[in-house]
Amino acid sequence: MIHVQHLTKVYNDQTRGRFVAVDRVSFTVRPGEIFGLLGPNGAGKTTVLRILSTVLQSTSGIALVSGFDVATQSAEVRRRIGFVSNNTAIYDRMTAWELVQYFGRLHGMPKDVLNQRLESLFDQLRMNDFRDVPGAKMSTGMKQKVSIARAMVHDPPVLVFDEATLGLDVLVARNLLSVIRSLRDAGKCLIFSTHIMSEVERLCDRIAIMHRGRILDSGSLEDLRTRHNEHDFEELFFGLLSRHEQAERDHVGGVDSSEWSSGVAPKEQMPTSVTLHPLVQPVSGGTVS
Amino acid sequence: MRRIQSSIDPRRASDNSVSFANQTRLSAVVLIYLREMRDQLRDRRTLFTIAVLPILLYPLVGTLLLQIAQFTRQHPTRICIIGRENLDEAPPLIKEDSFVDGFIAETDRIELVIHRWDEFTEDLDVPSQTDRWVRDGTFDLVVVIPPGFADSPSPPPNVGVNDGNQSADDVSQDGKSIQLVYNVASDQSLVARDRVMRILNQWRGGWVRERLADSGVKLSVLDPFSVQDVDIAPEHTREAALWSKLLPFVMLVWAMTGAFYPAIDLVAGEKERGTLETLLCSPALRSEIVWGKLAAVTTFSMMTAILNAGSMLVTSTFVFRQVGLGAAGTTIGAPPLTPMLWLLVALIPLSALFSALALAVAAMARSSKEGQYYLMPLMMVTLPLVLLPILPGTTLSTGTSLIPVTGMFLLVRSLVEGQYAMAAWHLPMVLGVTAGCLWLAVRWARRQFEDEAVLFGGGDQWELRQWVRHLWRDRQTAATPAQAFACGAIILVALFFGKLAVTEMPTDFASMSLLVLIPQLGLILAPALLMATILTTSLRKSLRVRMPHWTTLPLAVLMGVTLHPLYVSLAQWISYTYPISEQASEAMRPFGEMISSAPWLSVVFLMAFVPSVCEELAFRGFIFGGLVRNQSKLRAVIVTALLFGISHGVLQQSLAASCMGVLLGWIALRTGSVLPGILLHFTNNALSVSMERIAASDWGGASVFLRVTADGPAYQPMWIVVASGVAVTCLLYFGNIQDTTDDLDNDLIEVDSHVNDPGTQLQTATA
Repeated sequence: MIHVQHLTKVYNDQTRGRFVAVDRVSFTVRPGEIFGLLGPNGAGKTTVLRILSTVLQSTSGIALVSGFDVATQSAEVRRRIGFVSNNTAIYDRMTAWELVQYFGRLHGMPKDVLNQRLESLFDQLRMNDFRDVPGAKMSTGMKQKVSIARAMVHDPPVLVFDEATLGLDVLVARNLLSVIRSLRDAGKCLIFSTHIMSEVERLCDRIAIMHRGRILDSGSLEDLRTRHNEHDFEELFFGLLSRHEQAERDHVGGVDSSEWSSGVAPKEQMPTSVTLHPLVQPVSGGTVS
Repeated sequence: MRRIQSSIDPRRASDNSVSFANQTRLSAVVLIYLREMRDQLRDRRTLFTIAVLPILLYPLVGTLLLQIAQFTRQHPTRICIIGRENLDEAPPLIKEDSFVDGFIAETDRIELVIHRWDEFTEDLDVPSQTDRWVRDGTFDLVVVIPPGFADSPSPPPNVGVNDGNQSADDVSQDGKSIQLVYNVASDQSLVARDRVMRILNQWRGGWVRERLADSGVKLSVLDPFSVQDVDIAPEHTREAALWSKLLPFVMLVWAMTGAFYPAIDLVAGEKERGTLETLLCSPALRSEIVWGKLAAVTTFSMMTAILNAGSMLVTSTFVFRQVGLGAAGTTIGAPPLTPMLWLLVALIPLSALFSALALAVAAMARSSKEGQYYLMPLMMVTLPLVLLPILPGTTLSTGTSLIPVTGMFLLVRSLVEGQYAMAAWHLPMVLGVTAGCLWLAVRWARRQFEDEAVLFGGGDQWELRQWVRHLWRDRQTAATPAQAFACGAIILVALFFGKLAVTEMPTDFASMSLLVLIPQLGLILAPALLMATILTTSLRKSLRVRMPHWTTLPLAVLMGVTLHPLYVSLAQWISYTYPISEQASEAMRPFGEMISSAPWLSVVFLMAFVPSVCEELAFRGFIFGGLVRNQSKLRAVIVTALLFGISHGVLQQSLAASCMGVLLGWIALRTGSVLPGILLHFTNNALSVSMERIAASDWGGASVFLRVTADGPAYQPMWIVVASGVAVTCLLYFGNIQDTTDDLDNDLIEVDSHVNDPGTQLQTATA
């Protein structure tokens, strides 16, 4: 299970200065649940997931994976998480089999267990056709399958899919979604981040909508629909985003609106002294005007 | 699905490894190493550069060399001789169409064209014609023998030389000269001139002997003694002489280049291809990744070195034999193979060192292409260390054995030459230095792999205006590491040019004061102060002017006093190991005299107060504050010590100052302030300039601490021991004081506990 509280990540960046990529994000994912992280590009989804996979360090806040702190017990966390992202490529000069086997051995799996696991994984993901094809010669779909097999080889309780359907054709994407569903049925704890709304609608048990580093709202699809009184999910999403942007502009309008709109916060105010605008707190308020 | 996943129980699999989670596992290192090796060996480019190229390169170069050698030998030298008829009275020099046998070696091919003096007419006179011939390359050399040459009563004659650019008139009128017309701009012409000069000298020698014999002089008077040289070096040393210099050099250069390309591919290349993140989110620890990759790069570095050196060895042996040098061969023969094994032993740490450096530098690059830009400067920095040992006169000594890479190189050389006792004596030092460097380099590489700015650093384009805006807008309380490095570089460059600007030594105290004050205030303090004012928000914090715990201040003074004997001993040992040249110490003398004659207070102000404040604020203040960020404590101490050392200019002073710099840096780290360092530095300098006065004063207690020797005052041995003990106690105290938190202050991160966040509310609602 995943438990994230007040997770914040601040970058120091030449163009944007102090840039808050993730701003006090909190959520919980339970076993047997697919948690959807929905947001436009640059919303901070990948940063959150990179912190969960211990590749990045958070600036503040807590993130626990299976009860282990990502900051202090990163090695333990990495043993219990499978991370698939379009940033985690596969080696060009290794075959599918070799690659998955390599990562299994890095996990310290005994040889016989590993080989058994590999056979079943390759069957399950229908990868036997390109067992001995080197990464350089694979199609995008094949590569993605290898990545998924790589992430699943140690049978982790937690799996993270970051924009995993990006660049896949319909058939492969559909296949991937069914794999993820079956993982949920096996009791895994899953995070699925995407900017494609239909995938979230079809797949996720609960959804968090992220924009400019913050979670605007989260809950099951039904919850969100009733709370915002909007049946069409796409309308709901865009409405939330544009109200958030408007709220930010209104709130800081007097200070320096031009900088705010580019995501830059004046140092003295960031990251914590800004209180959220009422509009962005629909959960407590319950209604949206 | 369920069936598959239940095949392993994750809890069981992980439980027994929990306690080892943060320990580097050898099995994982080996696994990563083997994968990287296999990956590189599957790459055609790597295989080509590492294995195929050296095997092909040297034979190809060898073939080319042989051809060039043949070409130069077969290219005949064309010489024109004008006026052979004028030699009739002299001993024979020229036959029908060549020089007389015995004057030229079999291999020298010379084509002679002979003209008579009377073939030239008034409108085609000799000087202009010869000039034209040499200029347009018809002949490489023209020998002009003027009429009446051999008739004159006082030969042997002079040989006049004319490089074809000046008029030949003045010499050719003189009947005693032979004139050689050649062109200094043409190599062939120069070669021809050398050959003919040799022939003419031989000819003249014979002529002289003949005349002496004619006039009844015994020829033995010409050779009052003969010289016989005896080389006591045993056969294998003689043969090793060249190889022991050349082969390590070739090997080290190849070890360096051999480390570069795999390092770029294994870090920058993986970043580019996106596979690094895959590895980083695997259970492999960063340390395991670094060790595995380092081992792979080291292997390739060594393979490149060995294959290249081996291939060169084999090829050159054949080439030398072919050319004939090997036959004459006292200097170049087949290398003694067994001693060369020492080279392989020494190659391991050096390859590892280069590999670690290359890995750390390559980690900064975002792509392979960028990596190649970064590695060139690294090569430039390390190359002098490889070049130093092949300079003539560099031998293994205490001084040279302490220089990284160079020391190891010289050690190998003495092993190859069979000087085992000498090698054994210096072994601990060389090993210590090499191990230290290796440790630092590996640590650096590891830090790079733990730094997310390095691994995921911004892909955005650099733009000047934006960068300037960024510098101003995103000022922080203390300098960034980059600003700290820049400040150090500015100070060193300014000092370098400042030193060049000083043309004459000061003659009085006032001009000497200027000579001290200008660099201290203008070139050391000013850059740091300026950068602190412009680039940071808090002058006080960026210069680390903080009040430490009050006890540290008197302790710093005490430590300055008690450490001084040790510091003096260190300085003496350094100037004994790396002797100061006569010239330098001569140049320093007026300086010392002025110091001892000037008023004491002004000397202390000038030599102790000003340097301690300026240097500490710059090095242990601004630069240290920037470097110590992100928990890079070791980096801050080492780099500031090195910068501080180099800023002293004279090698011997630099070494002592670097040692002092480490101590000052450590104290700055422990106390979190620049003030104790200033006090310690001041005390140390003040004692240095006052020692003579204290010894000469009528204070009775002086003799307890100081004794007067021929070279000036020195500390009593007893006091050195006692003082060192006190100094160590102070050091322990500094080691035990509470750690300071630099990072929190600098990084401006405030954590607010009251956060209003829909996510948390949701979570509490659903829980």
